[in-house]
Amino acid sequence: MADTHKQWLEKLEANSRTKQEQFMNDIAAKLRHPRMYEKPQHPFRGAPDFWNTFEWTEEERIKGFTENFLSVGGHVARLQTMEDVKAYIVNKAEEMSAKYVVRQNEPELAALDLEGSLAESQVSVWNTDADQYWRARAAEADFGIVMADHAVAYTGSVTVLSSPEKGRSVSLLPTVLIIIIPLERLKTRLGEVLVTFDEAGREKLPAGIHFISGPSRSSDIENDLTIGVHGPGIVYALLVG
Amino acid sequence: MAGSKTEATVKARADLALNDEFLRKAVRFTTERLRNGKKKATDEHGNWEEWRERGKQIRLHTIAHLDYYLNLFVNNARANGVHVHFANNAEEAVGLTLDIAEHANAKSVVKSKSMVSEELHLNHALESINVEAVETDLGEYIIQLAGEMPSHIVIPAIHKNRYQIADLLSKEAGYTLPPDTTALAGFVRKKLREKFLEAEIGMTGCNFAIAETGSMVLFENEGNARMVSTVPKTQITLMGMERIIPSWSDLEVMATLLPRSATGQKLTMYMSGITGPRRDKDADGPDEMHIIIIDNGRSLQLGDPEFQELLNCIRCGACLNACPVYRHIGGHAYGSTYSGPIGAVLTPSLNKNIAEWDDIANASSLCGACYEACPVKIPLHDMLVYLRRRKVESGNGSKIEAIGMQGFATVMGNSSRLGGVLRLGKLGQKLVVRSGVIKTKLGPLKGWNTYRVTPSLPKESFRDRWDTLDQELKQGLKQMEPSMQNRMEELVRKREQDEKQGKGGHGHG
Amino acid sequence: MKVSLFITCLSDALYPRVGEAMVRLLAKYGVTLEFPTVQTCCGQPAFNSGYWKEARDSAKTILDAFEDSDFVISPSGSCTGMIHHYPKLFEDDPVMLKRANRLQSKSFEFTQFMVQVLGVTDVGASFPHKVTYHPSCHGSRILGVKAEPLALIQNVKGLELVPLPFAEDCCGFGGTFAVKMADISGAMVTEKVDHVLETEAEVLVGLDMACLLNIAGNLRYRNEPVRVMHLAELLYEGVK
Repeated sequence: MADTHKQWLEKLEANSRTKQEQFMNDIAAKLRHPRMYEKPQHPFRGAPDFWNTFEWTEEERIKGFTENFLSVGGHVARLQTMEDVKAYIVNKAEEMSAKYVVRQNEPELAALDLEGSLAESQVSVWNTDADQYWRARAAEADFGIVMADHAVAYTGSVTVLSSPEKGRSVSLLPTVLIIIIPLERLKTRLGEVLVTFDEAGREKLPAGIHFISGPSRSSDIENDLTIGVHGPGIVYALLVG
Repeated sequence: MAGSKTEATVKARADLALNDEFLRKAVRFTTERLRNGKKKATDEHGNWEEWRERGKQIRLHTIAHLDYYLNLFVNNARANGVHVHFANNAEEAVGLTLDIAEHANAKSVVKSKSMVSEELHLNHALESINVEAVETDLGEYIIQLAGEMPSHIVIPAIHKNRYQIADLLSKEAGYTLPPDTTALAGFVRKKLREKFLEAEIGMTGCNFAIAETGSMVLFENEGNARMVSTVPKTQITLMGMERIIPSWSDLEVMATLLPRSATGQKLTMYMSGITGPRRDKDADGPDEMHIIIIDNGRSLQLGDPEFQELLNCIRCGACLNACPVYRHIGGHAYGSTYSGPIGAVLTPSLNKNIAEWDDIANASSLCGACYEACPVKIPLHDMLVYLRRRKVESGNGSKIEAIGMQGFATVMGNSSRLGGVLRLGKLGQKLVVRSGVIKTKLGPLKGWNTYRVTPSLPKESFRDRWDTLDQELKQGLKQMEPSMQNRMEELVRKREQDEKQGKGGHGHG
Repeated sequence: MKVSLFITCLSDALYPRVGEAMVRLLAKYGVTLEFPTVQTCCGQPAFNSGYWKEARDSAKTILDAFEDSDFVISPSGSCTGMIHHYPKLFEDDPVMLKRANRLQSKSFEFTQFMVQVLGVTDVGASFPHKVTYHPSCHGSRILGVKAEPLALIQNVKGLELVPLPFAEDCCGFGGTFAVKMADISGAMVTEKVDHVLETEAEVLVGLDMACLLNIAGNLRYRNEPVRVMHLAELLYEGVK
């Protein structure tokens, strides 16, 4: 290769910037207005007003989330304390003979001391060793364990955000996914979570924002529902608090 | 542009489909399931009309200010570290992709479902430089092995049964797989796991792009879009230039409309918002991320008052599931990447070759089910008529039909001529009427009478009867109830008022 | 007040009994209809096929015919629906556009007029038969006529209404579509009739003779004895 990768990317960017002007000018011309540089009035931003005032009580949120998550083939457990969470996970790992477990590097999860409690399993903590190929660690894991950053009762969804301590792979590649949802993070509407990304602004957003609403599924073969096509086929949502 | 367009006309392709009993059953079964799912989901959610209207307004607003929002998206995506590119047409998009693949020293590309990629016929191009392209959506993978095009926007392999799929996958496996869905999907999971981990490039489409933060959003159920955007080192996203929405708040409306309209789900199993490549210290996600923004005929709709709304489409497939024509002929009969009502309008519009594609526009009874199903209220049934009109006005109409329509205008422009024609018809039909109906399969009634009989003209038309009827009714004239009388007078008054205030059109209904 | 009858071609030429039933029924409420004989076709066949110049010629005769009417009533949602396209057809001609808007605002499909204007949902009819109802696409989707016919049907004494499976699906008529795409149209009407037969109804009732011509044609072709009626006919027969 004559040019270095960096030079090539720079060349592409220069082309792209030139083309960007042409592209936008062409759009403006076709729309028959001068190029717009000012933010236009957007009177219809977001959900209709009647929806934004809709809110469930905590009990309704728990009920709604549970029903939705169960209806798509997920599992839900309602637990009181993180001690209960620990017992639940240990029990599941033993029941399913989980050999490899990968968890996010989060204080709540560290406090569970799964490393010390799962005698039969090898527990890896995400991105704690720079020499590891962490994607492969996650791919071979039987269990992936994550904390939910948010959850939405109305759609039965959990939100996980990426960071150096929180791999996107941990909620994607293992066979079984366990998501711990502290009750105070369980909201009613999707919009309550989405608006936080508008409020945070571009610079504060993580690379990956993932809403997970149950086990991976497909109906592509004769409409016959199959669970666990690419992502985890078994998903536990543990509501805590 | 059409890959498997073997028969020349939609009529010929439809005939093939109409004679394929399995295909018709499969398409009917699936579209009914999806349609019922949508109905249940929208009823349960409630206020569906308000949501549709909101979705339409957001899309209208964004497209009307597309130069602003797209530019904002591009600047933000670049600030996130994304390499953004522009392609005016399929050729440029393919060229950029191949350039990126070569610089990534790619041997294989794993792809999640993208209609734009189908539009570009990218897999062939990648293979031409010895890069293996692997479709990873289960349905797409199946039709890729079969060497076919998707026949439905959401369920690409709608036309294949499990036995055909077992044969295809067995060939790939090198051993015989049972025609059992779980076993077949299990094989694909294992097989594609290897592919995800091996591939240098992951390629995705884009459901929505958020202008204010430069993020791109993907909806899916299998997890393969997450795979291709998490595991390989390089990510390429192909994005139609119209995929923009202003904010994450607007995404709530799209997320309410899209899955419910597509499959009746409250949300797809995964909805991912991706904002740039892997952060420095992240241990997964792509090192390098490219977004290719593609025009390929889309901008032709901008500023065209009859077709601009076409760019509002969110590719949910609800119009296919609602369409009685699609149900009978399936997707391949449309002869292009996009099928069903949206395809019938989008294909000629993107290609600006109305003359060639108008027979697709004729494959509709204009029943309006597509419009009713559309979550952003695109008047597809009206657009089909506009396409037909443009073909006629451009001088590409059928000569015979044109003569017929001139005759129609001559007769219908004058009631006495119409009366004359009806009298002639009554004389003429004496030759063909048997026990009150016409069954002949000769002449213009051939197509009609293959499925039906035609009633004969009665002795007297209504206009022949009118005078007698009118006389008789005037004898026993009744007084209208005052309440009715008042209501009618009130309506007339209101109408006149509205007209004075310049409010034309709908007084009711 | 001038209330006019827009008979529509099909009802004029093939089904005069439908127009007559409607006129007689309305007369019971003191509605005196006048019938401008200069009317012809609404222009829909030409409009839908893309021949808008020809459609305009036809539309002009309709605009002329009903120029000074206060209400225009027709036994077809589809032909009334075509009048709703007139403003588009004349969008570049301000004078005609004004006339088109005016005609649109005073045009009513039969059940729309009965329910919305006269306020009648029970005509006092009796019709002791098993009936199923096909809601025609243009009436229900362009005009939004959905509840009106159901109200009128449900109030008929002795009538047993059996829901038609997939009722809202098009019957496959679509004007020239039935000729140009005869096989697709044939598949659609065959499926529609399959659904009608599933209900085991004695009578199929509807609001548009074009759709009913299509469905009845297939029923007769298959020698099925289901009786096909316009709602105006059914109601009038029930009060006679």
